[in-house]
Amino acid sequence: MSRFLEVESLNVYYGGIHALQDVSLYIDEGEIVSVIGANGAGKSTLLRTIAGDKEIKSGNITFRGERLPKTSYETVSMGISLVPEGRRIFPNLTVYENLIVSTYTRAHSKKSIDEDLDEVLALFPRLKERLKQSGGTLSGGEQQMLAVGRALMAHPKLLCMDEPSLGLAPIIIDELFEKIKQLNEERDQTILIVEQNAFLALEIASRAYILKTGSVTREGLGAELLGDPSIQHEYLGVHDDTSYEDED
Amino acid sequence: MNLFVQQVVTGLSIGGIYALLAVGYALIYSIFKFTNFAFGAILMCAAYGAYFVTHTLKMTSLVSGLLGAVVIGVIVSLATELLAYRSLRRLKASRLFLMISAMGVNIFVQNLMTIMMSANLRSLDIKMPFNVIRFGKIRIGSLDIFSLVISLIVLGVLWIFIEKTKHGIAIRASAHDTDTAGLMGINVNKISFIVFAISGLTAAISGTFMGMKYAVYPTLGAISSKAFISSVIGGLGSLPGAVLGGFILGVLETMISGYISSSFRDLFSFSVMIAVLVFLPNGILGSGINDKL
Ligand SMILES: Nc1ncnc2c1ncn2[C@@H]1O[C@H](COP(=O)(O)OP(=O)(O)O)[C@@H](O)[C@H]1O
Ligand SMILES: [Mg+2]
Repeated sequence: MSRFLEVESLNVYYGGIHALQDVSLYIDEGEIVSVIGANGAGKSTLLRTIAGDKEIKSGNITFRGERLPKTSYETVSMGISLVPEGRRIFPNLTVYENLIVSTYTRAHSKKSIDEDLDEVLALFPRLKERLKQSGGTLSGGEQQMLAVGRALMAHPKLLCMDEPSLGLAPIIIDELFEKIKQLNEERDQTILIVEQNAFLALEIASRAYILKTGSVTREGLGAELLGDPSIQHEYLGVHDDTSYEDED
Repeated sequence: MNLFVQQVVTGLSIGGIYALLAVGYALIYSIFKFTNFAFGAILMCAAYGAYFVTHTLKMTSLVSGLLGAVVIGVIVSLATELLAYRSLRRLKASRLFLMISAMGVNIFVQNLMTIMMSANLRSLDIKMPFNVIRFGKIRIGSLDIFSLVISLIVLGVLWIFIEKTKHGIAIRASAHDTDTAGLMGINVNKISFIVFAISGLTAAISGTFMGMKYAVYPTLGAISSKAFISSVIGGLGSLPGAVLGGFILGVLETMISGYISSSFRDLFSFSVMIAVLVFLPNGILGSGINDKL
């Protein structure tokens, strides 16, 4: 049987820059998988390629046995949603509109969309108080919750998150990762996270990959990589608490 | 005093026409960040659509004239999007190429129409239910009233569409960032289809009223520069700004024509635009968009 998501020998370029080199990985249904790597390793490129926002030079991505479509909006319909790096909230839309915007092509009934909205608001109660506020007025943490909520409103089978911890205060990050875990445990949401914050990403993941200048250099169980001295040295030592930026 | 009130009403009715034009222009600008120079050609073709229905088919009511214009306006607008712009966007061409393509379409269509219809001025003979309304000593022409009321209705419906429907939300999301809109499941080509259809509709309605006020001729589309000026005054890329700018420009122009001379009108309009660009570069309601192509 084919994997839930399978990436095989993926090569992606930006002009002459070989951003992903023979990257292979897979995700099974119900897993949280993390990809960790330093700045410029190719994490965003990987997610953008999976989301149909960047073309493939060679290699394959299959989702539930099917080839991925070539455009991002069709990929969303197929069941893959992205929480983009830097959140990219629509500041000119209200919080409610930001959530509802990703249901644009959903074939589901109004009722099931409303149910999803209730669920998202139950997960992120702070958004509920701010539904009429414009997206641009939220704090960084609230925007990240909104970005996750917005992706969930497309009812994805696979939720991809690009550095969700970026630029957030430590307590907010803890709260966010708690929610991510909750999503996985209670809703059985399959999740792919790419992170520089290796400690959090390895802790939450069932399995993880290490991406280094465009290539996968290691893979293993989250706990196993977390305990590995060479990884502790390379990814955990440099990213201790002092590397957090403050919330804006 | 009576003259002044009459001038204000005439100004508002011209303003309504400009506001419609400016909204059609600003919608496309807000999403694709380029000036659709083919807008004038669309307006002109639509006015010929009204002429065809009212003159050739002899259906002389205002409704049939407007319908003829809207059908042609929407078709021509969608055709320019599909033939001239979409493939350029697929190649990720810069906005400059989109604008050059738009200018090409404008010149091509204008010349084609001159060949087909000659450069003659044609008057639109549309039957109005009444000629003038009198309020005491104030007389207001039916064309002014109808164009103002219809413009306001269309603007109101558009406002509801943009603010309250899911298509409107998707349009506003795309106006902020088409890439992120795509990542959220929005087919930006579908949005562009909707937006070009709306733009064709607004151009058609303004084109019909312009044709009724003046005449229908192949360079009628030059009036679309007023859409650009209105948009600059109100704030480029802002839809409320476009409406506000349209009404301000309409009233100012009518005052200039009425109290000074109509030969100063266009000179004045462009001077206002330049003054706004210099002293209020984001217009009245605009957000900080710094290059105004
Ligand atoms: N739009 C782009 N144009 C050119 N090069 C890019 C672009 N985006 C990313 N890159 C390059 O691709 C490599 C991987 O980038 P990225 O996927 O953003 O890494 P990460 O998300 O891990 O920080 C880097 O060398 C980066 O400079
Ligand atoms: Mg990145």
